Amino acid sequence: MTPLIYSTLIISLGIGTTLTFASTHWYLAWMGIEINTLAIIPLMTQSHSPRATEATTKYFFAQATASATLLFAATSNAFFTGSWDILQTNNPLTYTLMTLALAMKIGLAPLHSWMPEVMQGLTLLTGLILSTWQKLAPFCLIYQIQPHSPNLFMALGLLSIVAGGWGGFNQVQLRKILAYSSIAHLGWMVLILSFSPPLTLVAFSTYLMMTFSLFYSFMMTKTTHINSLSTSWAKIPTLTALTPLILLSLGGLPPLTGFLPKWMILQELTKQDLALVAVLAALFSLFSLYFYLRLSYTMTLTMPPNNPAGTLPWRLNPSHNTLPP
Amino acid sequence: RLIQMSLPNISRVPASRLLRSVRDLRWLLRSIAPLAVPRRALTQMGYRRPGQPREDKPPWWRVKFDLSKGLKGMKRHFQLLKEEFFAEFVGPMGKPIIEHMLEQNQVVWEFRGPHSLQEWTISCDREIGGKSEIYLKIGKNNETCLLYGTLCSDPPKDGETRYSGYCTMRAKQPLASFDRKKYHDWSSFNTLHLRIRGDGRPWMINIIAETYYTHQKDDMYSYFLYTRGGPYWQDVKIPFSKFFLAHRGRVQDDQHRLWLDKINAIGFTLGDKADGPFQLEIDFIGVCKDYAHTEDFAYEKYKRNPEV
Repeated sequence: MTPLIYSTLIISLGIGTTLTFASTHWYLAWMGIEINTLAIIPLMTQSHSPRATEATTKYFFAQATASATLLFAATSNAFFTGSWDILQTNNPLTYTLMTLALAMKIGLAPLHSWMPEVMQGLTLLTGLILSTWQKLAPFCLIYQIQPHSPNLFMALGLLSIVAGGWGGFNQVQLRKILAYSSIAHLGWMVLILSFSPPLTLVAFSTYLMMTFSLFYSFMMTKTTHINSLSTSWAKIPTLTALTPLILLSLGGLPPLTGFLPKWMILQELTKQDLALVAVLAALFSLFSLYFYLRLSYTMTLTMPPNNPAGTLPWRLNPSHNTLPP
Repeated sequence: RLIQMSLPNISRVPASRLLRSVRDLRWLLRSIAPLAVPRRALTQMGYRRPGQPREDKPPWWRVKFDLSKGLKGMKRHFQLLKEEFFAEFVGPMGKPIIEHMLEQNQVVWEFRGPHSLQEWTISCDREIGGKSEIYLKIGKNNETCLLYGTLCSDPPKDGETRYSGYCTMRAKQPLASFDRKKYHDWSSFNTLHLRIRGDGRPWMINIIAETYYTHQKDDMYSYFLYTRGGPYWQDVKIPFSKFFLAHRGRVQDDQHRLWLDKINAIGFTLGDKADGPFQLEIDFIGVCKDYAHTEDFAYEKYKRNPEV
């Protein structure tokens, strides 16, 4: 891809999200989301492999369906309330439709089935953009919708935590594991949205930092499978020592940063007399912790046999191997 | 009185007089008139041998209903479902995680008894009216399989086919319970390892990966297999980066590497236009990880001009 086209697409991604952030009108916010979707499509199909086009097609179908539902809900809201303002979402029916549409956009359970297959077909960089940047605009809208009752968000949140944990249980493909991790974390975020929106932002920002770091670690070691992860100890020893910290932070273990949002969410839920929900969320996140621990175990705590004649990728973009000439 | 639904009769009906201007009234007589073209699209129908008349039987006419077979099938499928369910407790895809971490070699197909032959399908140009023959049997001591036969390049005299002379052996797609498709996940490996004994003929190895679109149905990734002949076994190691994309035998311009996470089947094809008997003995087909092989893809990728 030429630098001009590439930079156009990246700038369009930025413009789309910024447009949604800055808008109070549903139409403009929807347009920002559409710009985002359309800008990432060529980035996903950069390599012409059939898996990439399959992932792009599935992504497009999911996002187009969600966008159409969102636009319909916004139009219906304007019909019922007479206002296109995002903050004036008063009708329960339109509010529910909007929530479900945005849930499909970001990949919340039970509308999450597109996410692992799409992530599997992408490169790690595009997967990173999908997991982090593409969530910003829909999340901004979810944040602004005034919830009528917390039940919908709690149901979506709990289902996502379960689906994210259970789905990633027996995966060996790292991109699919990251997709399920994303689903589980989004579940935590929407769980507390009705009661304390700032906590959602805290959870989201820590999730962004941790996911970015993990994706970048996998990009540095060029690993997409648990087998190649296990032999990455010889490639970048320092990264091998630090990546478990990122993984355990994602798992929510103290004293790492990832523990903070989980702790505060559980505390807030308990304050709202929802101790059962808190217990269920904590228990189901153990599934996610299991596969994070498994990744840490394969990467750091074991040293499977590795052929030292293999290429060391830790020098910036190496083009030679270490075999003697 | 039986009303003859012919075109002139319809045109006498006052309301349909206007329809006389419609050139093709077959869509009106759809359920009554015999069809000149089949109902379903060409891609959806089974293989039609060139020169044979088209079959227009509805799908349910071809199914043979048998209660005992159905009950046995249900029992087998539920048994498979139960095994799959409990295999997930062992680890991903039924293997413990330590195996996923450490595996560097995996034998995917080996021939240790007549039951191994159930996983394979053989075919030759006899299906299109040619004269080749192909047979598959278990070799001596139940240790290998022997693919043998006779190749004949004479095209069938059906007025349509111009070229002929191929023999092929292809693995069947693994199926889970209730005939769901299963895939081979070879993403831990980067090389195909075969132990074969041939007769000096050049074969083509085809790997069929899972596709999404209907137009990709006949996509396969191929590479050459040159057999040495003679009594000695040959260990052939072909990196997956060498496989190139072909569709129905035609090599594509827009090449890309083979994705190893969803492989459906592997096949061997002989089509070297040398008429006569052939033999290929296979001990095992496996995959292995060669750490020293770092090539992603061996061929230049298609770049349009001007580049976009």
